[in-house]
Amino acid sequence: MVRFENVGMRYGAGPEVLRDVTFVLEAGSFTFLTGLSGAGKTTLLKLITVAERPSRGLITLFGHDLATVRRKTLPALRRRVGVVFQDFRLLDHLSAFDNVALPLRIAGGQPADYALDVDELLSWVGLGDRLGAKPPTLSGGEQQRVAIARAVVAKPDLLIADEPTGNVDAEIGARLIRLFAELNRLGTTVVIATHDRSLMENTRSREMRLVDGRLVELRVRT
Amino acid sequence: MNEAILPRDKGAAPLDLMIAVMAFLAALALGASLIADRAAQNWQNGLAGKITVQILPPQRGDAGKTLGAETQTVLGILRSTAGIARVNALSQAEQVKLVQPWLGTGNLVSDLPLPQLVDADIAPGSDVDLAALSTRLKQAVPDAVLDDHSHWIGRLRDLAHTFMWSAYGVLILIAVSMAAAVSFATRAGLDTHHEMVALLHQMGAQGGFIARAFEWHYFRSTLVAAAAGAAFAALLFMIAGGLQFAGVEAVPFLPPLGLKAQELLWLSVVPAGAGAIALVTARLSVLAALRSIY
Repeated sequence: MVRFENVGMRYGAGPEVLRDVTFVLEAGSFTFLTGLSGAGKTTLLKLITVAERPSRGLITLFGHDLATVRRKTLPALRRRVGVVFQDFRLLDHLSAFDNVALPLRIAGGQPADYALDVDELLSWVGLGDRLGAKPPTLSGGEQQRVAIARAVVAKPDLLIADEPTGNVDAEIGARLIRLFAELNRLGTTVVIATHDRSLMENTRSREMRLVDGRLVELRVRT
Repeated sequence: MNEAILPRDKGAAPLDLMIAVMAFLAALALGASLIADRAAQNWQNGLAGKITVQILPPQRGDAGKTLGAETQTVLGILRSTAGIARVNALSQAEQVKLVQPWLGTGNLVSDLPLPQLVDADIAPGSDVDLAALSTRLKQAVPDAVLDDHSHWIGRLRDLAHTFMWSAYGVLILIAVSMAAAVSFATRAGLDTHHEMVALLHQMGAQGGFIARAFEWHYFRSTLVAAAAGAAFAALLFMIAGGLQFAGVEAVPFLPPLGLKAQELLWLSVVPAGAGAIALVTARLSVLAALRSIY
């Protein structure tokens, strides 16, 4: 599903923030990406989500070599990836419902077709009574749940989450991880960047650890 | 639900005002071109099919008697010419009235030796050989000059056409300015909503999806602002027409400045055109900007 070969990344003329990163994410896998702040987790996620081009190396996503894929193919590849951003990136002028429905609108869906799914999903993340609320009126935890609902609503093939439980209490955090696990059970490949090692407990997963831009540890939890 | 993806810009009022003013000026230019076109048609219709023979007053002898005889000769020639439907020698009072706008109503007019004017109408569909008629008149009355008004009609038509093309030029300039303003506003909007555009892009939105959010946004705001500007211009044209209807004297030699109902409808072209310009300009600007993003 995702293949990195000797990938390096630097911003402008700065130092390399990722060096010689090589790994493969198999379809249906569940992976935790760990490492200290500044280790390169967010940059690695940006490369997986086709938000940035690598400075060197080869990235293959869904069988497409990103160095040679046609530009007009990229949006379709991006639509197969759901992303939970660390800073949520909700649109403040849209309601929770419309924020969650955004990927479906982008995919060309009609409100009549997706309204029920969006309602159900928001209810599942505990926001069934806040459908019309705008993000500025939501707490940090509620915003995070809206961001997660938005990332999973289109049933992506690959789900990328950057610190998805950073602003929620333990109970909600566990519930969200169960949601990710359920999606994974249904076939979605999941990558979660976190430094909360407790999330990895009770989850059959693989861990990739970044240290100073290098992938130094690969571990499987069963 | 299903709200507009692009929020209404809080700082959009100056752009709306500028669009409204440009639409107002465009509607004035369009209205002026319609008035010029109508005036050209009226002048053409008023003078076409008419000829005038001017008999200059003789310098010697009994001028009045000679002029009278020459007038009768001219009338006879005109009446005997095939295709001439009506012939009329203007009375002294009618001729004095013609020169009153220039010379006033004092004694000067009655003291001046005025030429005798003879009007004639050419029957519709008739083909009168004006050159031959002019020669016959000259031979019979050397002081007679035939004027078929083609010179005047041509000059008035040229004047009206010059005015119309100038108005079209103004319209084009306004359209270009409007496109530049919307392009600038779109780029500013892209900067303002950079994070939103980046998010939509990241979520796999095609360029067309993002462009649509911007183009409809600017189409709607431009349409409303331009409609307001054009409506204000239409109101001025209606007031101008109303003043004339109320008996306020129009400027001499200028056509009426009011617009008829069907001509007022033409002003709706301005907001429609402005909206289309905004739509296309915003789309092209957004697509160009998106090409620079990975």
